[in-house]
Amino acid sequence: MKKHLLQFIAAVMAFAFLALPASAQKGTYAITNAEVVTVSGSVISNGTVVVRDGLIEAVGSSVSIPADAKVIDAKGHKVYPGFFDTNTKLGLPSASPPTRNASGSRSGSISNYPPSLRAESDVLEKFEGTEAKFSSHRNAGFTTVVVGNSTGIFNGNSVVLNLAGENVSEMVVKAPFAHNIAFKTERGGVYPASLMGTFSAMRQMFHDAKRLDEIRKMYASNPKGIKRPEADATLDALIPVVRGEIPVVIFADTEREIIRALNITKEFNLKTIIAGARESGSLAEKLKAHNISVLLSVDFPMRKLAENKEADPEPLRTLRLRVEAPKAAAALKNAGVPFAFQSGGMKNIKDFVKNAAVATENGLSKEDAIGAMTISAAKILGVDAQLGSIEKGKIANLVVASGDILDKDSSITHVFVDGKLFEQPKKKKKPAKADGDGEAKEINAGGVWNVTVEPPGMSIPMTFNLTQSGDTITGTISSNMLGSATIRNGEVTEDGFAFDVTVTFQGTDLDLNVTGIINGDEVEGTVDTAQGPATFSGKRDPKN
Amino acid sequence: MNKAIRSTVLFALVLSFAAIGVAQRTSGDVLIRNATVMTASSGTKTNTDVLISNGKIARIGKNLKAGNAKEIDATGKYVIPGIIDAHSHAMLDAVNEFTYAVTSMARIRDVLDPTDVTIYRALAGGVTAANLMHGSANPIGGQNTVVKFRYGRSADEMVFEKAPPGIKFAMGENVKRARNIPGVPRRYPASRMGTLEVMRDAFVRAKDYKKSWDNYRAGKTRVPPKKSEELDPIVEILEGKRLVHAHGYRSDEHLNLMRLADEFGFKISTLQHGLEAYKIAPEIKKYGAGVSIFVDFWGYKMEAYDTIPYNAYILWKNGVVVSINSDSGERIRRLNLDAAKTMKYGGVPEQEALKMITLNAAIQLGVDKYTGSIDVGKDADIGIWSGHPFSVYSHAEMTLVDGEVFFDRSKDIAMRKELEEERKRLEAMEPNLPPAKRGKKKKPEAKSEEKAKTPKREAGGVQ
Amino acid sequence: MKQIIKSKIGSILTLAFAVVCVAGTVFAQNGPADQNKTGVGGTFAITNANIYTVSGEMIKGGTVVISGGKITAVGARVSIPRGAVRVNGSGLNVYPGMIDAGTNMGLLEIGNGVAGTVDAGETGNINPNAKAILGINPHTSHINVTRVNGITTVQSMPSGSLVAGQSAIIDLNGATQSAMAVERQFALVVNFPQISTFAGFTPGVGPRFIDFKQAVKRRDNRLKDLKKVFEAAKRYGKVRQANAKDNSLPAPETDLKMGAMVPYVNGEKPIVFIAQRARDIHGVLKFAEEMKVKAIINGGMEAWKVADDLKKASVPVIYNRIHNNPSNEDDPYDLNFEGPAKLAKAGVLFSISTGNNGASVRELPYQAGLASAFGLSKEDALKSVTLYPARILGIDDRVGSIEVGKVANIVVADGDMLEAMTNIKHMWIGGRKIPLTSRHTEFFEAFKDRKLAQ
Repeated sequence: MKKHLLQFIAAVMAFAFLALPASAQKGTYAITNAEVVTVSGSVISNGTVVVRDGLIEAVGSSVSIPADAKVIDAKGHKVYPGFFDTNTKLGLPSASPPTRNASGSRSGSISNYPPSLRAESDVLEKFEGTEAKFSSHRNAGFTTVVVGNSTGIFNGNSVVLNLAGENVSEMVVKAPFAHNIAFKTERGGVYPASLMGTFSAMRQMFHDAKRLDEIRKMYASNPKGIKRPEADATLDALIPVVRGEIPVVIFADTEREIIRALNITKEFNLKTIIAGARESGSLAEKLKAHNISVLLSVDFPMRKLAENKEADPEPLRTLRLRVEAPKAAAALKNAGVPFAFQSGGMKNIKDFVKNAAVATENGLSKEDAIGAMTISAAKILGVDAQLGSIEKGKIANLVVASGDILDKDSSITHVFVDGKLFEQPKKKKKPAKADGDGEAKEINAGGVWNVTVEPPGMSIPMTFNLTQSGDTITGTISSNMLGSATIRNGEVTEDGFAFDVTVTFQGTDLDLNVTGIINGDEVEGTVDTAQGPATFSGKRDPKN
Repeated sequence: MNKAIRSTVLFALVLSFAAIGVAQRTSGDVLIRNATVMTASSGTKTNTDVLISNGKIARIGKNLKAGNAKEIDATGKYVIPGIIDAHSHAMLDAVNEFTYAVTSMARIRDVLDPTDVTIYRALAGGVTAANLMHGSANPIGGQNTVVKFRYGRSADEMVFEKAPPGIKFAMGENVKRARNIPGVPRRYPASRMGTLEVMRDAFVRAKDYKKSWDNYRAGKTRVPPKKSEELDPIVEILEGKRLVHAHGYRSDEHLNLMRLADEFGFKISTLQHGLEAYKIAPEIKKYGAGVSIFVDFWGYKMEAYDTIPYNAYILWKNGVVVSINSDSGERIRRLNLDAAKTMKYGGVPEQEALKMITLNAAIQLGVDKYTGSIDVGKDADIGIWSGHPFSVYSHAEMTLVDGEVFFDRSKDIAMRKELEEERKRLEAMEPNLPPAKRGKKKKPEAKSEEKAKTPKREAGGVQ
Repeated sequence: MKQIIKSKIGSILTLAFAVVCVAGTVFAQNGPADQNKTGVGGTFAITNANIYTVSGEMIKGGTVVISGGKITAVGARVSIPRGAVRVNGSGLNVYPGMIDAGTNMGLLEIGNGVAGTVDAGETGNINPNAKAILGINPHTSHINVTRVNGITTVQSMPSGSLVAGQSAIIDLNGATQSAMAVERQFALVVNFPQISTFAGFTPGVGPRFIDFKQAVKRRDNRLKDLKKVFEAAKRYGKVRQANAKDNSLPAPETDLKMGAMVPYVNGEKPIVFIAQRARDIHGVLKFAEEMKVKAIINGGMEAWKVADDLKKASVPVIYNRIHNNPSNEDDPYDLNFEGPAKLAKAGVLFSISTGNNGASVRELPYQAGLASAFGLSKEDALKSVTLYPARILGIDDRVGSIEVGKVANIVVADGDMLEAMTNIKHMWIGGRKIPLTSRHTEFFEAFKDRKLAQ
């Protein structure tokens, strides 16, 4: 029968990969005198791992070192299989401000669906970058990642990549891996604009995909008397999903989101993996009963706000959640739910392994924590035959660390991806305040920001023209609908800017309190009015 | 974990009651002793006991034998049926899918938030069940869900499974106003005229749709028709399988809708709001719809300007089944007082007033076989009140759903200190410390079995 | 009512009419064109009733005499003047009319979608010269709907901007604004800048918050604006006063806004500060002390947390949060129900208010009753809608209790006035006997007996 488009691409990719000559940089290495954490078997206390042509040629305590091997003496060091981050957006363009597109149709595309429902969206088409771009992940020990989108509802496929290679063809391990589903809504007043609509739209499209599959079969066997089934790339992409041929990764953090995911899974007999799963601990038994795997985010929630006696106390449920979240891994383990860790979009990838260690302080064994970054991940991704453990013949993704990786004093000295050695950058002398978390960022709020403000059901383009001077911000805002106005009380905040401004809307003065959070040249934030708040997001104009 | 605060209260309740057998899931027997029982069906009975067994009302009488039942002394107190709110948007993560004029495919069931504290506050006002509805942005809106307020449970466990399915219709200002966005073409309909045409169109489409399926099932066509999430529920309306809850204010709207329903051969179950229903009470009676109203909330928009607090009385006098709803996470806490007002405005008799927040709502939602009055065999959905439930000086003391205590004022008060202590404990833990304090202190308490292994993490983070 | 008619005429027709009156609520000559009927004056004696004087003991089987708009006698044994219209109060309770000290009565008819009926606030930030008394519609349907539930007096406040304007105290009777006015310009209304950490919702993620310090900074910025205005008004007042004493000194250029503020910033008249949270009320107290102004808190959700400071500063609270959910999900469910009980216990002068813009001010008695279900004594509940608001508004020499010499704002009910089931049977405002009719009774009469056309 017809190969699905994605599978076809995957086959081409795989072919391309196999056909490539081994990279010239992939040499032969022997890591010696190391404690080898094979993951698949027992720990080899004084072992050697031989790497050749991208694969593990040998591993053991009495392995002879090939004459052509470059020897890495790893005495006192540990060797791990390369780590997996099972959910990233690496190499994907950052979400641009949503464009209003009522019909949703793209020229040249066979689809009538709005952006958030474009199931045919192919992550490899959007992926950009070479190994050089992913050094922070790799330096933190991550050699294999899943790349996929989760900004819409049907987000298209995700892929498994190794973080080495000069082009995407060299990086692909498995494509597609799964279809990404998130319980998001369409923006700009287009259906589905509510969470209810999200589920209704999904249902309708699953039914439509099933029907299309059925009609295609009928038509293929005998087209006479049947109206030619319409070409629909979006529904075509969902056919393997409703057939259960490709897993779906459903993003769900709260208990109720996870239960919603289980319900839709049951209704359409999906092959579901839950991603995020922050509150999955209390549902572990249920997940087990439904035979669900989990890509658990280790971006554990932490309090971000400073202390103040007069401030409202944080909700108890927030306090509880922060304490409970790191316990989810152990709960899943105890219930027998297969799970792997993922970064969950954390700001500093170095926190990944740190937080894996936190999970071990909350009931998870160290072995299982390592497993959740290696073999358990490989199994869920369906790549355990070639990745996830240190075994002869498997892909040479390796991490060499100065000690137990879960010990905060250890550091990573070498990373191999596809047999290619990546040396760790020399540790810079730590300035007085180093190391990611809690550090005060230098905020640059000046410039022309083109943003889109989104009151419910609307989308208003607006420009902030800001000048920063120390902690003070001055400037103007302008918009076609609201005219322009000079800002007041402008100031630099911990992570962006805040100002007040009064605009005239249909003859009425509106006081706006604007708060923005800056991330590089992107900003998102809130416009607070007496009528209620609206969110905005946008970018700094590079021309100004 | 991770439930709203009050689930802890409930958890504690469950624990503390488990020992004496009350809050085991619908298994323990409870005897409410010596109460004034306002049955909502057969008058008020003084010095009366109510025996609850397996979550149902087993016996009502004087000096009942307790047997194994846990006794609740209700001397001087009032027992009434659990209040049922026939129109609520509590515990929802989404209320309106405003994009289309017909959103019958939207299901409230998909977006329930069982952790919404509104549920607990409603329980504290004696409410045990509610009709959760889609908003009023569309002539034909989404599918509603009837729930019992089993707070602390998952959304699935709160659904009142025996309630027949329903759907929201809406007319008037909200429908017209939806998507009235400056600079964007207005969504059809923008008038009461168009609203009815949208409905008419939907029913025409649904009939065609049904026909295409009938033909397919009869083997007349080879290719299966497209399954429509939008039209399936409308076909169910035509087949009498789905109750229509029609939001409307003006009396002419109600009449036009009833005429449209007659034309297509379906039934309007309940006129929601019906603020002017009193103007056409005889017509509504003749048609056979129920009306679910506010008692004295009015004047907040033009179409709410002609309502009167005597609405309930006039409808009742005409024999219409009237319920009083909240449509609000605030008002839901004091529906008892809204019922009381109907006695003042016109003079609805006491039991009839009580029915407007209990049995009549149950009738409108199709669950009166199971709940809505204190009758043997019905679910033990019960409120115990400190005094007459219509008195401003009374408050709910206990609220039971299926015989389980989901609100107990004395326990609630007792739990407040414990919750404060829990807060202090949690606030001292690493992830809850403000960034400036994090990583400085020794961890306050490592789990004992982990202690030996994990002496190391305290120095992480900022120096 | 029956008595009035009997004493006046006595024909068969009128008798029949009287029966209708007693049974229902209709009054003879009502019609939509005649919305704000101003009632009938004269001398009245309510006899043999339970008289809740509020200021003193309840008098059983007592009599209240109303004459010339005032209460002229109260007691168990008082002589009834000749010609007085007798109202048999047997089995009935007599109360002073209720007072809601925090409404927008008359300033808007329909708030949503009928902009033409809305006069609640002005544009711009500083509007001290906006006077509620000039915007109040004496013929709004809200007035009759409200008073037939026993409410006779309200404070009506402009809303919206930082300095919203000047409030008025009105009786709910009178064909003109002036006829209704108890105090034409009672207080300056200031929406005190709040500390709010809420920074809106991120769709799909939930609420976002800014750092508390940042929120305080934002508040302080706005507070600075307010201070500037106050200081400017004080200066303006000084210059004007200096000029008045010695006209060789320069006269200030007339500034309507500054001029309007002078009596308030000089502490001669009170300022109503809208504030709910403890931290904001603290802010008000600090600001009022610094500016030496006379403050009243309106809102007062967390006033109980600041009770000692309020008491020390003699700042009263118009509490309008009975029908509001607690602001935090962890708060006890009855937190706002208990507010008045806590204020009473702490000895803070407070009143209960609906905070409503007009249509639902009639809920006032039930709100006071609900506070009583959660700890407030019945006596205080009654006072919190009569004598206490009169004190806060500085009109307790005229209204708020049943005492000889006070204005005859009197309500006669067939039960406890705070109970939802209770019916108001008679009422007087300024000594005029008010017909118990409203837009609602009129519709009721028009439709209650409607039948299907045959």
